[in-house]
Amino acid sequence: MKLPSLLRRTPFRLTLLFLALFAAAASAILAWVYFASAMEASSKAERDVRAEMEVLTGIYDARGLDALNMAVIDRTLTGRYEYLLMDKDGARITGSLSISPFETFEGNRQWITFPFTDTLPDGTVVRPQVRGVQVRLAGGEMLFVGASLIDTEAYLARLTQALWAAMGIVLLLGLAGGILVSRNLERSMGRLGKVVTAVQEGDLKARAPVRNSGDELDELGAGLNTMLDRLEASMASIRHAGDAIAHDLRSPLTRMRAKLEVALMDAEAGKIDGVDAVQLALDEADSLLKTFNTVLAIARLQAGGAPDTRLFDAADLAADMAELYEPASEDKGLEFSAEIERGLMVEGNQPFLAQALANIIDNAIKYTPTGGAVMLRARRRSSGEIEYSVTDTGPGVPEADRERVIERFVRLDNSRTEAGSGLGLSLVGAVMEAHGGRIILDEGPGAYGGFGPGLRVALVLPAAQ
Amino acid sequence: MRILVVEDDAEAATAMVRGLTEAGHEPTHAVDGAFGLLEAQKGGYDVYVVDRMMPRLDGIGMVETLRKDGDQTPVLFLSALGEVDDRVAGLKAGADDYLVKPYAFSELIARVEALSRRRETGSVATMLKVGDLEMNLISRSVHRAGREIDLQPREFQLLEFLMRHAGQSVTRTMLLEKVWEYHFDPQTNVIDVHISRLRAKIDKGFDHAMLQTVRGAGYRLEP
Repeated sequence: MKLPSLLRRTPFRLTLLFLALFAAAASAILAWVYFASAMEASSKAERDVRAEMEVLTGIYDARGLDALNMAVIDRTLTGRYEYLLMDKDGARITGSLSISPFETFEGNRQWITFPFTDTLPDGTVVRPQVRGVQVRLAGGEMLFVGASLIDTEAYLARLTQALWAAMGIVLLLGLAGGILVSRNLERSMGRLGKVVTAVQEGDLKARAPVRNSGDELDELGAGLNTMLDRLEASMASIRHAGDAIAHDLRSPLTRMRAKLEVALMDAEAGKIDGVDAVQLALDEADSLLKTFNTVLAIARLQAGGAPDTRLFDAADLAADMAELYEPASEDKGLEFSAEIERGLMVEGNQPFLAQALANIIDNAIKYTPTGGAVMLRARRRSSGEIEYSVTDTGPGVPEADRERVIERFVRLDNSRTEAGSGLGLSLVGAVMEAHGGRIILDEGPGAYGGFGPGLRVALVLPAAQ
Repeated sequence: MRILVVEDDAEAATAMVRGLTEAGHEPTHAVDGAFGLLEAQKGGYDVYVVDRMMPRLDGIGMVETLRKDGDQTPVLFLSALGEVDDRVAGLKAGADDYLVKPYAFSELIARVEALSRRRETGSVATMLKVGDLEMNLISRSVHRAGREIDLQPREFQLLEFLMRHAGQSVTRTMLLEKVWEYHFDPQTNVIDVHISRLRAKIDKGFDHAMLQTVRGAGYRLEP
């Protein structure tokens, strides 16, 4: 069987639970108030009765039985108390009661509470409890003085009524509050749920309304939105990457096709060997695969961060790279120098960082004209971060384009004609991002004698903890 | 050389078997890890070429089982997974080398031959000798026809690798991986420049050039 929908809602169920706990606590408090009030009322009655008894025994001790008799008669007519004066056998002498409430009276002083039937002047019959004390006087006579608890009872009755009413109101308000809160929550959750449903159905643009009120649901909504923003951005990036891959693959494919066609014509004309033509095709296929692998590596870095990181000395890597690239640089007629501080521990994926450093060194060598210089530095910045930098005296990158070349899949027009996939810096950027580092492009040493202004590319890595 | 090719992709396997046969080897094909294991247990193979991902028993499982059985035949892993941790996992399982798909066939042949060669020269040599070229691994000196050749440390390592694989093609990627111990794409052929410097030292002034370029593959040191 299904519960009514309201009862199935978490907020409402929580409200009910809370109300039950609250009602239990309130009952305990009310019970305590009730008993404390009852006790207080009863002990007040006792104090009053005791005081009245003092006065009367005082009269008896000072002026004798007759005076007491007179006093009792007086007080019976006007007083707030019930009286009974008896002789030593218990026979009534005077008073408002006809017989003593005690069936047996032992000792000199005894307290009792008993029901008393009284008729009020307006004719209504009331049966209040009477609390009283009976004492044996010096001459053997007995005197009973009792106080009706009728006021106390009325007070307690009113109190009980008030307490019940209060409890009822509390429960009603609580219930109403619970429904309200649960409705409210449901509406807010519903808004979030609607966003989730919309996203499920493929609308990545759906966003939860956020009021910046700072409550948890608002935060949840904001979190959901951030998540969706990120998702959308990475979807866009994937789409963008897809376009870029298509573009990057189209050029070499087109080139391969053209070369194969030329090779076919040449082979038919007997100008070249068929083997050469196939070799050309293989080279083009290799460059295509390289592009594809780079794109894949970038995507994986962006999706999963740097894999398989370990602690190693960035200085060793720099030294190895300098050693590896120096001959190629010198062969091109460039002056290659390296300045490497020792002991630069970083935590990272060494092959990817090697690739990143290789890419910027390779770029520097590729774009710097013969006669120029390339300098590799590895140092600890004053911030403690580890910095690789490669400075060249090539044409540099115009300031307006520096941001752009770091962006994924962006190529400057004048570099499109150069060999290479054009993904080199994108991969460097992805590697740095995956390591919590950054890439900075800056002006080189400036323009002089047909060189420059040059480019300085810095890779900044957080130092190992 | 008898080579066991364990590869579930029929087309890739056919190409590999044909290429290996043309290179003068005797390849046998097994369609997955379980068959590969059965075939390997028959014995008599010089190298196993094992695809990493296969149905039933994958490459890792197969190689782990072989190694547990005490089979020390060199293993070349083939994988479409190029990430570093995949490479590490493959080598940990007991593979001796790792080649990422797609690969140039010359690269595969060079690596397979390098693996079998490594097995032959398992003993610790103090002297390497190829033709009239001699390398003393203790004094770290190199002589050709009695004339001392002065080499930088890296050039020495490079030559040592070439001498250990004399008569056999080694690719640029192999050199970067085995001599420099780096796994990345150097973009331009930086290795070529190192080779040409080494060549200038060991071949210049001699009538016979030992360090030869193998078109489409890499380099080969000939006696």
